[in-house]
Amino acid sequence: MSRESILLGRVRYSQDRELPGMLHARVLRSPYPHARIVRVDASAVPARAVALTPDDVRGLGVYGCQIQDQTVLALDRALHAGDPVAAVAAATPDEAEDALALIEVEYEELPAVSDLEEALAGSVLVHERIRISDNDAAYFGIRPEQGTNVCHRFRILHGDFEVGLEQADVVIEETFRTPAAQHAPMEPHACLARWEGGRLELWTGTHTPFNVRSDLARVFGLAEEDVRVVVPPMGGSFGAKTFVHLEALTAALARKAGRPVRCVLPRSEEWVTNNRHPALLTVKIGATADGTLVAKRVDSWIDTGAYADCGPGVAQKIGYSAVGPYRIPHVHVESRCVYTNRPPNGAFRGFGATQAAWASERAMDLLADRLGLDPLELRLRNVLRDGDVFCTGETVRDVHFAECLERAAAAIDWGQGRSGKGLCVLLKGMQTPSRAQIAVEAADGGGYTIRCATAELGQGSRRALTLVASELLGAPLSEISFPDPDTDIVPYDTRATSSRSTYMMGNALEEAVRELRKDGRRGVGEFRNSGGLDPDTGQGVASSHWHQGAAAAEVRVDEETGLVEVVRLHAAVYAGRVVNPPGAELQNEGSMIMGLGSALFEAVSFADGQVVNANLSDYQIPSIADIPDGLTHDLLTKPGAEVHGLGETALPPVPAAIGNALGSLGIQTTELPLMPETVLAAIDRRDGGGVR
Amino acid sequence: MRVRFALNGEPVELDVRADETLLTVLRRDAGILSARESCGIGVCGACTVLVDGRPTSACLLLAPLADGAEVATAEGLGPDHPVVRAFAEAHAFQCGFCTPGMIVAATALLAESPSPSDAQIRHALAGNLCRCGSYVKILEAVRRAAA
Repeated sequence: MSRESILLGRVRYSQDRELPGMLHARVLRSPYPHARIVRVDASAVPARAVALTPDDVRGLGVYGCQIQDQTVLALDRALHAGDPVAAVAAATPDEAEDALALIEVEYEELPAVSDLEEALAGSVLVHERIRISDNDAAYFGIRPEQGTNVCHRFRILHGDFEVGLEQADVVIEETFRTPAAQHAPMEPHACLARWEGGRLELWTGTHTPFNVRSDLARVFGLAEEDVRVVVPPMGGSFGAKTFVHLEALTAALARKAGRPVRCVLPRSEEWVTNNRHPALLTVKIGATADGTLVAKRVDSWIDTGAYADCGPGVAQKIGYSAVGPYRIPHVHVESRCVYTNRPPNGAFRGFGATQAAWASERAMDLLADRLGLDPLELRLRNVLRDGDVFCTGETVRDVHFAECLERAAAAIDWGQGRSGKGLCVLLKGMQTPSRAQIAVEAADGGGYTIRCATAELGQGSRRALTLVASELLGAPLSEISFPDPDTDIVPYDTRATSSRSTYMMGNALEEAVRELRKDGRRGVGEFRNSGGLDPDTGQGVASSHWHQGAAAAEVRVDEETGLVEVVRLHAAVYAGRVVNPPGAELQNEGSMIMGLGSALFEAVSFADGQVVNANLSDYQIPSIADIPDGLTHDLLTKPGAEVHGLGETALPPVPAAIGNALGSLGIQTTELPLMPETVLAAIDRRDGGGVR
Repeated sequence: MRVRFALNGEPVELDVRADETLLTVLRRDAGILSARESCGIGVCGACTVLVDGRPTSACLLLAPLADGAEVATAEGLGPDHPVVRAFAEAHAFQCGFCTPGMIVAATALLAESPSPSDAQIRHALAGNLCRCGSYVKILEAVRRAAA
């Protein structure tokens, strides 16, 4: 796809794909957060439309990438407001919408679990039994606590926290909250399904074609090879389009209709399909008087909603991210993934690191304040350096946290007064273990074809990999084609997540090109990274290499209105080696801008279990008018270094850098987003609780 | 009902329902896929087209109201159009979903103010959301196209 084609609107996303005879799907959703489904009657739906009801899907398999907790439609109980209870396929989207109104559903409302506190009280169980998935996305030890709403518990034990605490001269303990946020990709979820000779074929926007394939094979009782997943370019995702969302339902409708069916999600339904995990973290951190960290305990709870999705993975990554890139001899982390009767939460750019950094790095500034130390100095004194041991027991190499911090601080003139300024350092893991395969073929008419599962979601992976291939093959870019991923054709890949594709696939490409040179027609290369963590001790290898960054913010606060203006925002990110400079810059800038939204105004709001701001007017995302003039960034490189993915690193440190900038003014906040009312309340606390 | 308008300079005549939006009929009946529905309520700009030169959310305009108008979309611009070239040179896009609407809105701005200030650019494009956050380079692209 050439640049001009993209600019002139010639890209055909999943929502634009069509097949002859195709019907359009709409979904009927539960209005209640928790209800028994007594009866679903679709007999009034006209014969020219096709209705799918729970009875149609009762015999199908249960799915879920890490925990098997999801059915194609809610069967006996609706578990969140927005849970699909029926669906219709009709000749036009309007006709399908009209037919939904003819379906009668009788509900019996049940007591619902609306937040983490209620979930942990445990009087209502969202799922009675928790079954671990056999999908390869369940790649680590998942530890459900049966009979509770905790579907996974991850623990880190490093040294002895209580012993470490005794050595501390200063201890800070604070609780931090991050709300649900919505990915809001400009293209909503979209999927087209057809059945052909007993095989299921899907064109769907997903980063995870092989995970979707195995879950769908499970649902429909097919061999994996009898499910074909083709991935057109996505109009953005940011994690929203990972694992199964619309695919099972659309495929079931297509099977019943005997015709292809396309489902393009109406915008409002994005908020009941996949959001970012709300998180509650309590951090207790101790240091000696000279600012040496000696002990840290983190208790973390994330609300994964009614279905786990990849919540257990997020809980694990929050667990070690919340320790931060520091040398701390005594660490104890308990991180839990908890069911509630809320819409499901899943992967969101940053994958838990945003929530973790908000808590961990705000706590660092509170500690610096108590110690009377410069927050930069406190960080530099403790930050991981080459050869240090992280809380997981792994020795870190090629780490540049100190340099990232120094560069970020310098960009906002840290040395010339710290008032209104804040910093945050970030450590983020990459999917470990994982496996990437890529094939390079000599095309018949000359030139080359790259075949791999790396999906294009705007992150520029195809461009980056084409550039790498061009260099390895000694061929111009114009001679290299890179068709849409198709699981019938491309070799295996874990998935296009965690900013791993340029690094993993780039390495696999080297072998593929060597093999192509031997074979003349086709070469396949593979690259693996290995490791993993023990879920009960957190020891092992969390990440085969580290995504590293820091952010620095300078703010002005209108103390009458509580409005925060970000004057300068800088991110310094370790890139190792940059493959595509403009693409790398876009990833950094885009991450920072998304971080601004999370910091200042993005939150999914609920009333009675229902989302109340499910549109882009009430849920605002940053526009070009919201971008500070002083938005800058650095890409740190080193000759001969490994390529480090850049898709996410500059987002998670932004909210805490801004929060810390407020903290430097005595405005101490613990909860995102930093809306005027939150800031005003913090100003009141600073000023002794005066009434406004 | 019949609606007649000029689409990228060519006359078109479409059979539409009175309650259908211009976006629906452009996509369904006129092969215009560069205008895209995203928010569906006229705040995101992904469906921006020019109606008599004014940037308009096609998701809000009822198709019959376009009768007799000049409608322009990204399909009518070529790769050598100065705004398109500037967006390419500035790398001012990621997933590309919002880009045609952004480019159409930028052409309208530059037609009205050939040398806009940054503040004018920000104001003119504030109704075109880019969740990828390509704004720094979009700003640069519009400056470049203006130069």
